Amino acid sequence: MDLDRHLPEIASGDAAAFGRWLSGAEPRLRGGLRPFATSVDTEAVLQEALLRTWNVAPRVQPDGRPDALLRLAARIARNLALSELRRARVEPTEVQRLERLADQELEQRTEPDPLLRRLIHRCREALPAQPRRAIALRVDACGGVSDTELAERAGMSLNTFLQNVRRARLLLVECLARGGFAWEAP
Amino acid sequence: MKDLIEQVVSAWRPRDLDGGVRAHPSWYDLDEAQREEAFEETVRQRTIEAGLDAEGLSGTAHAVLARIQGIRRP
Repeated sequence: MDLDRHLPEIASGDAAAFGRWLSGAEPRLRGGLRPFATSVDTEAVLQEALLRTWNVAPRVQPDGRPDALLRLAARIARNLALSELRRARVEPTEVQRLERLADQELEQRTEPDPLLRRLIHRCREALPAQPRRAIALRVDACGGVSDTELAERAGMSLNTFLQNVRRARLLLVECLARGGFAWEAP
Repeated sequence: MKDLIEQVVSAWRPRDLDGGVRAHPSWYDLDEAQREEAFEETVRQRTIEAGLDAEGLSGTAHAVLARIQGIRRP
């Protein structure tokens, strides 16, 4: 489904509409950054690209093709990643190779699956107490709090907190697989 | 080393003086294979975060929304 259905509200400054757009756009944009995963911190590039996309969204004109805002966001993210590569003095031939890889079309992804959401909730209920608490803190922090601070809130050492978050995710991934969810191949 | 990867999987990122999003300090300590692992684990983590969120938003999406709600468009 064309994510540009949210564009008029986003352009008028509706952050909630940008959130609805993000839920569909983020996985596809992240997938587009996969070629850069060993060369730049793609999470930082993606967040910066999304902030810039929000800023320029009022000037985006639909061009008759679907997902104009998504395509613009992908270009912003790609250019940011390339800029980081050049700043890090990565070999020009390697920059060109990654640029070609990133030029491929954005992956088509389906909307979030309500069955998957139910399965994730069910799997979370089955987690042991400490991993469940650790991943809940990570999720509730919404990217706004460092792990050092989250560990303090949990009353755990940083090392223990990180091990519990990792264990929770591994258990959730196993549980989702048992429930029939297949992760997309990289 | 798994702890460093786990820190990079977080959606938390430091800001520079201009408010720009900077790389996680631990990311620089990872080798190529670990950076790839961090990327794939991040994909799984964000899927789980979005699945647990009432609005279907990941930690990345929430971090970005928190930023845009705190600043004006230029």
